Amino acid sequence: MKTPAPDWPEKSRELSQLLARCGLGDRAAFARLYEATSAHLFGVLLRIQRDRASAEDLLQEVYVSVWKAAAGFDAARAQPLTWLTSIARNKAIDSLRRAQAQPQLESTTRDDDDDRPDAAEAWADDGPGPLELLGQASDARQLGRCIEHLSPPQRQSVALAFFDGLSHAEVAERLREPLGTVKSWVRRALMSLKTCLERSVLRDSAGPV
Amino acid sequence: MDYARPELAEALAAEYVAGTRRGPARRRFEALLASHPGLQRAVRDWQARLMPLTVAVQPEAPPAHVWAKLERRLWPSDAKAPAPWWQRLALWRAVAGLATVAAVGFAVPLASPPPARAPVLVVLQATEGQSAGSFVASVSADGRALVTRPIQPVSLAADRALELWSVPPQGAPVSLGLIKADGTTVLARDKLPPALLTGGTAALAVSVEPPGGSPTGAPTGPVVYAGKLQS
Repeated sequence: MKTPAPDWPEKSRELSQLLARCGLGDRAAFARLYEATSAHLFGVLLRIQRDRASAEDLLQEVYVSVWKAAAGFDAARAQPLTWLTSIARNKAIDSLRRAQAQPQLESTTRDDDDDRPDAAEAWADDGPGPLELLGQASDARQLGRCIEHLSPPQRQSVALAFFDGLSHAEVAERLREPLGTVKSWVRRALMSLKTCLERSVLRDSAGPV
Repeated sequence: MDYARPELAEALAAEYVAGTRRGPARRRFEALLASHPGLQRAVRDWQARLMPLTVAVQPEAPPAHVWAKLERRLWPSDAKAPAPWWQRLALWRAVAGLATVAAVGFAVPLASPPPARAPVLVVLQATEGQSAGSFVASVSADGRALVTRPIQPVSLAADRALELWSVPPQGAPVSLGLIKADGTTVLARDKLPPALLTGGTAALAVSVEPPGGSPTGAPTGPVVYAGKLQS
């Protein structure tokens, strides 16, 4: 049974309060926070760190960090789910480096942004693909229209990178495109999202015309 | 590189948050973050923009053992499981062990021919909460035969049985079989543990069980008598 996706801003207040209580050492609040957010974070981790046992270890590490850093969480600067998800993604991306056991394979598309030699394992995917996820994410507020503004290759590149944690080189391999082209797609996609989102904020705050 | 330049900070922060900045470049960037508030701001802004994309990711409840491990790791002194009963027996503080019981007659010889060395007698005293009485176990010198007998008659509910356990120095107790609440019981030889008198058994204990003995292989009922073997 699928648990409902987190409602980003709606849950913010409850999660901020829980984090504040965690910062004071409230273990019950931490248990409640785990209950409210672990399924989401585990899902995020699994897309990037496909080894299940590693993902479980990572989840533990994430919440240990959360417990330790909760006192420093500033609700004025970030939304709790943003903060939590960032911690999870950072650990997941770092774990890809540690998981590297085999020697570096020579890749024609390797560059210094890259540390995972073989993207083959990322190809086996039995859930929704990253592009599909991007499409579903476009239900989320302003992001919706902004994602529409991206060209298909921009959308695909940023989706692969963001959701599946592929590096530029791996995206290039997957899409069979030159590394430089992929890099520029990703950068342009990100900048386009930024500009579009900033415009949305201005538009919304201006009120009805 | 001048990380204060906003466009550069933006570009780097975007790639860091999107996840495309990897390997040594990623680590260098993280090292920089600590001392560049401008970069930190840019990173926060990009996180606010991109993390909501993950609302589309399918949530998956983690297995229960992840939480269990997490709890133990964060709060190890919170150990919920108490020490097993055989480690908590008040008995260990008392002087127990070799019998101070005067003549205890065992009608059943322990072995034939009678062994050259005297048998070892172990008094199993009533544990905390039990009113009175004690058992005595007689172990042949070679540890290969064991006989028990209550010193005073023990009253036992009709739907209960007494089971004798060998408690090793480490690990869980091992059943030696059922014993009578009145009269002598000769324990089956093949159920006796090895090294009974030479360190394999730290104590003998009696628990109250359903008819036929514990269904689980471990004591399920209260431990009513226990006696330490002197090592």
